[in-house]
Amino acid sequence: MSDALHLLVASIVPAARDDPVLHAELTAQCQDILNSRIGGHAREPDLPHLTDLIKRQLLQSSPNGSASLKFTNLLSRLLDQPVLSRKNASIQFLHSLASSPNRPPPNFLPSLAAPPPATTQAPIEVPGARQPKGKSKAEILREYRAKSGRQHLPENLLLRDTLYILQGISGKYIRFAHEDDADTEEKLVFVEDSKFTIPTPTRTLIHRLSEVGYLYTRVDAFVREREGASGVGMIEQSLCHHLQAQLTEYYRMIAVLESQMSAGASEEETGLTLRRLDVWINEWRLRMRMMSVCVEGAREAQGGALVNLIHGYTDNGDPFVRKFTDQLLEDVSKPFFATLHKWLFSGELYDPYSEFFVAMDPTLARLQSLHPSSLTGGVGPLSGDGGFGGFGDGDELSAERESGLKHWEAKHQFQQDMLPMFVGETFGKKIFSTGKSLNFIRYSCHDSDWVVTREKMSNTGGTLKYSDIAGLERSIDTAYQIASRRLFEVFIDKFHLLDHLIALKNYLLLGHGDFADQLMETLGPSLSRPANTLYRHNLTATLETAIRSSNAQNDPPDVLRRLDARMMEYSHGEIGWDVFTLEYKVDSPIDTVLDPESILKYLKLFKHLWQMKRIEGTLNVGWMRIARDARSFLRVPELEPQWHHIRLIMAEMVHFIRQMQAYCQLEVIECSWKVLLDFLNKKEGDMDAMLEAHRTYLDRMVKKVLLLSPKSGRQENTLNLVKELFSTILSFREATDNFYNYCLSESSRRDAIRAAERGVYANPEPEPDPATLPRLIQRFTQYGASFSEQMQTVVHQLQGHPDLDCRFLAIRLSFTDFYRKKSSS
Amino acid sequence: MPRELIGLSVGQCGNQMGSVFWQRLCAEHGISKDGILEEWATEGGDRKDVFFYQADDEHYIPRAIMIDTEPRVINNILTSPYANLYNPENIKVAKDGGGAGNNWGQGFSAGESNNMYEDMMEMIDREAEGSDSLEGFMLMHSIAGGTGSGLGSFLLERLNDKFPKKLIQTYSVFPNAHEGDVVVQPYNSILTLKRLVNHADSVVVLDNGALARISADRLHVQTPTFDQTNQLVATVMAASTQTLRYPGYMNNDLVGLVASLIPTPRCHFLMTSYTPFTSDQIDKAKSVRRTTVLDVMRRLLQPKNRMVSTRPSKTACYISIMNIIQGDVDPTDVHQSLLRIRERNLANFIPWGPASIQVALTRRSPYITTSHRVSGLMLANHTSIASLFKQMLEQFDKLRKKNAFMDQYKKEKMFANGLEEFDDARAVCEELMKEYKACESSDYINYEKDKEGAA
Repeated sequence: MSDALHLLVASIVPAARDDPVLHAELTAQCQDILNSRIGGHAREPDLPHLTDLIKRQLLQSSPNGSASLKFTNLLSRLLDQPVLSRKNASIQFLHSLASSPNRPPPNFLPSLAAPPPATTQAPIEVPGARQPKGKSKAEILREYRAKSGRQHLPENLLLRDTLYILQGISGKYIRFAHEDDADTEEKLVFVEDSKFTIPTPTRTLIHRLSEVGYLYTRVDAFVREREGASGVGMIEQSLCHHLQAQLTEYYRMIAVLESQMSAGASEEETGLTLRRLDVWINEWRLRMRMMSVCVEGAREAQGGALVNLIHGYTDNGDPFVRKFTDQLLEDVSKPFFATLHKWLFSGELYDPYSEFFVAMDPTLARLQSLHPSSLTGGVGPLSGDGGFGGFGDGDELSAERESGLKHWEAKHQFQQDMLPMFVGETFGKKIFSTGKSLNFIRYSCHDSDWVVTREKMSNTGGTLKYSDIAGLERSIDTAYQIASRRLFEVFIDKFHLLDHLIALKNYLLLGHGDFADQLMETLGPSLSRPANTLYRHNLTATLETAIRSSNAQNDPPDVLRRLDARMMEYSHGEIGWDVFTLEYKVDSPIDTVLDPESILKYLKLFKHLWQMKRIEGTLNVGWMRIARDARSFLRVPELEPQWHHIRLIMAEMVHFIRQMQAYCQLEVIECSWKVLLDFLNKKEGDMDAMLEAHRTYLDRMVKKVLLLSPKSGRQENTLNLVKELFSTILSFREATDNFYNYCLSESSRRDAIRAAERGVYANPEPEPDPATLPRLIQRFTQYGASFSEQMQTVVHQLQGHPDLDCRFLAIRLSFTDFYRKKSSS
Repeated sequence: MPRELIGLSVGQCGNQMGSVFWQRLCAEHGISKDGILEEWATEGGDRKDVFFYQADDEHYIPRAIMIDTEPRVINNILTSPYANLYNPENIKVAKDGGGAGNNWGQGFSAGESNNMYEDMMEMIDREAEGSDSLEGFMLMHSIAGGTGSGLGSFLLERLNDKFPKKLIQTYSVFPNAHEGDVVVQPYNSILTLKRLVNHADSVVVLDNGALARISADRLHVQTPTFDQTNQLVATVMAASTQTLRYPGYMNNDLVGLVASLIPTPRCHFLMTSYTPFTSDQIDKAKSVRRTTVLDVMRRLLQPKNRMVSTRPSKTACYISIMNIIQGDVDPTDVHQSLLRIRERNLANFIPWGPASIQVALTRRSPYITTSHRVSGLMLANHTSIASLFKQMLEQFDKLRKKNAFMDQYKKEKMFANGLEEFDDARAVCEELMKEYKACESSDYINYEKDKEGAA
């Protein structure tokens, strides 16, 4: 190193070659420079500034400008040189060589580059340059002050104190206010002794500088506090890490400043002044402010919210702030992305400090750890006896059922305020549901193929980080799609969701018409008996028969074993029709979609549709009676007009019930089903969408089949009317049966009389009570009339129904405007 | 426990219809010519047991009973590729084999002679007892000739007595009013019509004239062969039983279907329309391009597609309509179509009660490929059928006035003591015609009372 310097001195200053004193002096000077901050490349001053400085010096020394021109020329040649790598440093070196106080004799000859004829650095230069001109006014003032004993405090002392302040340490002359100095508004206290004063401008300057120190103490305190504390969130930890790194940087700067100050300490003038210091730390002021804001934020928010807070500053016009926060976020969001990655690709929530925007219900989390090991692979066993057991397992089932939907809905929660803004709400929801789906597939569906899926997804994932938001969104989209598809696959292929939905539609919504007819036919007679005479084993046996003798037998056994017939709880006086119900049992995880509430709705629909089926059945029997049987058995011609009347009323009833059924089937069930099926076939969307689709499907059916009106308090008005119609039909049927029996006995009586006339002995039956016939006629006439009346009301109500489909039912019922004409006439 | 139906085919026409119908059912259910379920017929969802039962060896055997007074047609069937399908015990040909000579009386009395009745009833009983819950009978016959009309009438009467709780539905081919090939067909028709009125629950009227017209117009076949006409008929029969064989929410039994179509028991003569007829069912038929639900439902309402020729009348109206729509149908389309039809007033309905177009969506057999998306059958009870009866009565009267060709009838035991039966039958038919006419007015409510008042 020193050899190189010797050579350098010798080659640049030819005079030194012969003069060992000058040589040694120059070498020492160079050594000094190299040891100073310029030699240590702590900071690379920018080239334009440097050249500017040099040019200014050159102009000073040779005002004609030729030197400056020459320098420019040489500089550009230097810059073109490919060999030298540290051009900046070279120029810097030469510049400080030139501006050193003991200048080499001006008569040296440059050998390599133009030796910049130097002056001292600007602030030092000025007094130096003016010295020969006599004392300046400032000096006169200073002297005056010195004489008067109120001298200004020397700047170097203040500078040292300021450096202390920058590190958060109180100095001799300047110290931070104590906590208990509440009365002073100033945070900074200047200690003035009798000898020295600190001028106001300097105070202001120091105040400005001390802000950084103050902020530093806060940031530092925060970092220290967090270092020691337990239970600090990971995001905060990484914030601390970043802050620490920044602080280290800060320390380094302080160290450089200090060394610069001490380097100049021996001299009268230091290389550092308060003003220069201000420039030096200007950038840091901003940084410190940012950091302090983060620190402040971290006290109130944590996790995602903290990230959010920081993210708020990225939309800043100031590129410095933007860059700083970007860097900060890059660091701070690392743990967030780590959690995100785990969540997004494996559905595991690893978030020990609850910083993620997904929270888990700890009570349900425990449940999951109990289940999977015992139920791995395949459908969990329903219950030991295959689903046709007693009431007992029903209860168990419902307890178990609770968990399915609850698991899905309550196990994880989306926390809006924890969601980082750079992710965006839509993506947040996607992330949430992706992880949820995966978690669900994993724990509730016990998916053994899981590993395959996960691998597939991890491959597409790549790394997630803040600076690559586009990539993140892509990854989220892919993960979301894969997870949704998988969930659909699991539900549809593995757990046969579609089979169950179809089964519900076929059994509870009577889609299997032949099965329903069969059940109705065999069960009908016993359902008219009081509820307490029904036995469950009879019901299940009938169910079995109905299944075996209808197309239902082709359904998968897994579907059939879930089907059950039972009685609902009954009170005194109720008959079988009131309490009978079919039931379809589902287990986890299908019960997530078919939760107990949905099943209840299905049962409600079943009850109504079953009732309709009953009416249809009884009308069919009635039709057989009035058409077929009346033709074969009745020989009472004078009652034909009555029969005609009955037939027309019955035709009206048949029309009503069939239109009603067709409406339920076509307009409601099939149309709703189509929507649901389209959704399921698309396989898009997540579990929530699936739940929602099913809920919509079911609610639509409930609303329209039961003709519910949105008007509060009157929801069931129309339904009640329809039910009344049903009961009128039943009464009418009974009345016609009585009339039929009367006619039957009357014809056989007449047959007997005729036989007697022919001389064949027959037991003559007694004449019926003459009052019987009018009573019978009056009864069915009355029911017929009230049916017509009620029909009119129902049609009228439906015409004004808020639901369009219900209004269409009115059109169906009064296709020919029959009921309107009737009411107007 | 399906609701079984037993198919009875009587006479030349009936047996020809029957054999084509059974062939079609086999095709739709994936049953081979020998009654074996085809290997590819695995889709299920259909109810083969409505019309078939399984023998011990898994053969599917149709509940088909074939009766004739002469062996020609039945022999043809027994030499056809489908010979092994049928149960040979279910075939009955009169012993003398001489036919009925286009004489209703001869056909009717054939039923009583030579153990014919016992043999027929034995077959029917056997089939009925082999069924879990027999719903009824389907009689296929023509009413113009001798056997289908005469023996058919005989069977109707007996079935009615023997099975009072079972439905009797007939697919009756009515003669072509203008160019009948049997001179005495007006006699035969009216005599049979009386039994159809009194002893059947529902009669699907297939008018030979209309069938020929449809063949010409729709299918562009000027002189349709028997086979083509029979395929037409078989298509209609298959479609009208579609809901029974492919169960859905509704219309899974015959009684439900019939109850909604026939409000009063005498007015049970149903017309049919079918669209589109294409080459899938009918050889050499031209295909119809567009088939939307609305399109199909509108076509079904057009008189020219009806398989009954009636005289147009302004007062004529529908008593009931049932559209059986098959194929790939969006349920919302039905809704729209109904509204459209109502808006445009494409169908008139009775004034004395509520009526509307019932629509049943059914699956289509997966084993039959069709070139069109939607096809439909309409079963309708329409008052214009009265004009058909009127025409028949007019023709009857022409002959009856002159007592033409009465000698052959007088030979039969039934008419030996007089021809009151002719007049009685005429009265029943006229009554039927009048009732259909009465249906067009809102006074129909008091029809029976008025009748009594008039009497």
